[in-house]
Amino acid sequence: MTIDIYWRIGMGGDKESLRHPDKTRGDWDRVRPGSIAPGLRRGSPDGFTYLDHMADVARAAEQAGFYGGLLPSFPMTDDPWAAAAALARETRTWRFMIAFQPGFLNPVHAARMSASLQRATGGRTVFNVITGGGGPAQLWWGDKVAHDDRYARTSEFLDVLRGVWNGGPFDFDGRFYRVEGGGLPAALAAEPFPEIYFSGSSPAAIDAAGRHADYYLSWLEPFDQLKQKFDAVREHSARTGTPPPKFAVRVDVLARETEEAAWREIRRGWDHVDPAAADGFLRRQGDSVGAQRTGDFLSGATLHDPAGLTVSPGVWGGFSLLRPGPAFGLVGSYQHVAERLDELIGLGVDAFILAATPHLEEAYRVGEEVLPLLRGPHELTAPESPAELSAV
Amino acid sequence: MSRLPAAFHWTVPVRGDGREADPGRRPRGGWNPGARREFRPVFTDPRPGNVGPFDHLSAIGRAADVAGFDGVTVPFDPDGEDSWITAGTLLRETLWLRVGVEFPPAFATPVYAAKLSVSLQRFTGARLDWHLAVDIDPARRRALGDHVDGDDRYARADEFLTVARGVWHEKEFTYEGRFHHVLEGGFFGPLSGVPFPRVHLTGTGDAALALSARHADVHVFGLDDDLAEHTDRLRQAGRERGTDIALGLRVPVLARADAAEAADDLARHQAEAGRAAGPGAEPTGLVGSYDDIAARLAEYRDAYGITQFFLAAHPAVEEAYRIGEHLLPRLHAARTPAEASL
Repeated sequence: MTIDIYWRIGMGGDKESLRHPDKTRGDWDRVRPGSIAPGLRRGSPDGFTYLDHMADVARAAEQAGFYGGLLPSFPMTDDPWAAAAALARETRTWRFMIAFQPGFLNPVHAARMSASLQRATGGRTVFNVITGGGGPAQLWWGDKVAHDDRYARTSEFLDVLRGVWNGGPFDFDGRFYRVEGGGLPAALAAEPFPEIYFSGSSPAAIDAAGRHADYYLSWLEPFDQLKQKFDAVREHSARTGTPPPKFAVRVDVLARETEEAAWREIRRGWDHVDPAAADGFLRRQGDSVGAQRTGDFLSGATLHDPAGLTVSPGVWGGFSLLRPGPAFGLVGSYQHVAERLDELIGLGVDAFILAATPHLEEAYRVGEEVLPLLRGPHELTAPESPAELSAV
Repeated sequence: MSRLPAAFHWTVPVRGDGREADPGRRPRGGWNPGARREFRPVFTDPRPGNVGPFDHLSAIGRAADVAGFDGVTVPFDPDGEDSWITAGTLLRETLWLRVGVEFPPAFATPVYAAKLSVSLQRFTGARLDWHLAVDIDPARRRALGDHVDGDDRYARADEFLTVARGVWHEKEFTYEGRFHHVLEGGFFGPLSGVPFPRVHLTGTGDAALALSARHADVHVFGLDDDLAEHTDRLRQAGRERGTDIALGLRVPVLARADAAEAADDLARHQAEAGRAAGPGAEPTGLVGSYDDIAARLAEYRDAYGITQFFLAAHPAVEEAYRIGEHLLPRLHAARTPAEASL
C-alpha cells in the first residue's frame, strides 16, 4: 500500500492569503470588484458560483498529484454531498472525501447516495465520518444526542450502511435505527464500499473507530501527543483482538522556499489579528475532546508574537487565528515541512490530508515543491534540528 | 466596427508553465521532460495515464474566466502546443472569454481558415478572435513550409483576409490574386450570418501598418514600440476608412501587493533565470505594486488611446487569480465613465 495524500477544499469560501481577513472567493463576504466565483462583470453578477472555484481547486490538486480532497462540513458552508455530485463528472482521479455526521442522514438513504456516487465517479467516494463537535453547533443541526451516545449512533449507522450494502434482505433493530428487509438494488450493491476515515479523540470514539475505521484520522497535534493518541488506538485494537486501523493526519502547511519567507507570511497575517478576539480562541465551546486537547497545549502561550505559539520545531499552533479551522500546522521551508511530514510517517501515519491558504495556489506549490521531497517510511533518517529552524 | 470598450486579456503559455523563472524548467503542460519532480514510489500518484497537458491549459482558461478577464490569447509557437486546438478546447470550457488564436496566414487557405472559424464561432457564441502572425523568423517560416518573404508576406496577408472576409460575407465571391484565388465561394445556411472573428495585427513597419489600415480591428503593440508615432498613424487610417482601429498593448506584468515585494520577486526571477539566460528569456514588462501597474496602464490608455491590454505572467493560473482579485478591479475603477457604461 502506498501513502495517500489528500488536499482539502474550502467549503465556505477562501481568501487570497493568510494576510487578510476578507474572503475574496465565494459569496461568504460581500461580492465586490475582485471577487471570484461569483464575481462581477461590468457591475453585474457574472453567473459563476462558488462551485466553479471548488472545481478549479479540485482540478489543480488533481494535476499537482493529490489523490483526492477532503470536503469538510460546517453549518455555514456548502454541502459536501452536493459538491461531490456536481464535481463527479468534472474530475478524473480526484477522490471525494465527504465529511458528514451520521446522525443527520438516514443510513439506508446514505447507502443509496454513496453507491450511486461510486457509480458516478468510478469508485472515488471516501467517507470522513465525524461524530464530535457538540455544543451549540450540534444543536444548530437539530441534534441533541449526548456525546458518547453519538458514537453509539455512528456505530449503528455504519452497521446499517454495510448491512444494506451487502444486499438483502437486511434486518436491524437498534437503539437509533430499525430496518426491515432492507438492501440496495444489485447494481448499487455491486459497488465497492467506500474507505472510512474516522475521527474522534475520546475513549468512545476510539472504541467505535476500532470497529469501523479503515483510517483513524486526527488533527495535527504536537507529535508526542499524536503518538500517544495512536498508541491508545493500537492498544485498544490489541485488547479487542482486532487489526488496528491505519493512521491519517489532517495537516495545515505554510511552506516557502526559505524559513524566513514562511515566517514573513505568518507575520503579515498576524498584523491583522485582534489580540482580544485571539484570546477567545483558546476557550472553545462544545464537548469535543479534540478541541479541548488543542486548548490545553496552547494555554499560557503568549499572543504577542506568533512564534510564541510554536510548540516544537516547525509545529505552529496559531493557524486558527488566521483562518477558520484547526490550530496546529507546519510552518517552514519546503525541506523543513517535508522533514516534519516524514517524521509523522515515522510515527505510523499512512495518509495525509494537507491544506493551505489559498487552496488553489498552494495545491500547486505543495504538490510541486514539498511532496517530491518526501522520503517515505523506508528511507527515514533521524530528523535533524538545524539552527535555522528556530522561528524568525 | 464601433469603438471597443477597454478589455483585458490573459496569455496562455503554450510551451510549459510553472513557478520557475526559467521557461525551460517549468513543469506544467508536459513540455519540459524532467522538470516535473516525481513522488517517490511509496506515495500514491494518480496522475500517470489520467492527467494530460490539456488539463493544465483548461485550468488556465477557467481561472482567467472566473477571475474576470475579457479574453485570452493563445500564441502561435512552432515549438509549442498548436494554437487552434488549444483555442478550440478553451472556447468550449469557458463562459465569457474571447479566445484569440494566433496563426500565420500560411497555415491554411483563407477559405479553409474561414470555414474552421465559422464553426468555432457557431459553437461558442462568437467568441473567437484572430491574431495573424505575419512577421515570423525566416528560418522558422521555411521550416513551416512557407517561402514567401519580405513585404510579400503582407501582400499575402492582405489577400488572405480579403478572401476570408469575402467568402464569409458573400454568396458568390470570386477572387483572383497573386497568392489566393476562389471561384464563386461563400457560406450558406447556418454557416452564414455569423460574426467574423476580430482581426488583430501587429508590427511597426510600413507594410504592417498599411495592412492594419486595411484590415485590423485591433493593432497590437509591444512596450518597446514607438507608440506616439504609430498610434497616430493608425488613428488617422481609421478616420479615413470610417471605422476605428482599436489599439492594443502586450504587457508582461509582475504585480505584487507592494513595490518592495515586486522588486524581491523580480530579483529572484532574475537570479533564477540567470542560470539559463539566453534565447527564450522573457521580457520583464511592468514591475510594481497593483496601484503602480494600474496607473501605468491608465497612462497608456490616456496618452495613446490603448484600450486592449494583453497581460502575461507566470504561473498562469495563480497569476490570473491574483490579477483578477487585485489589478482588474483597479483597472475597471479607472475606466472613463463612457467606458464604464459599455
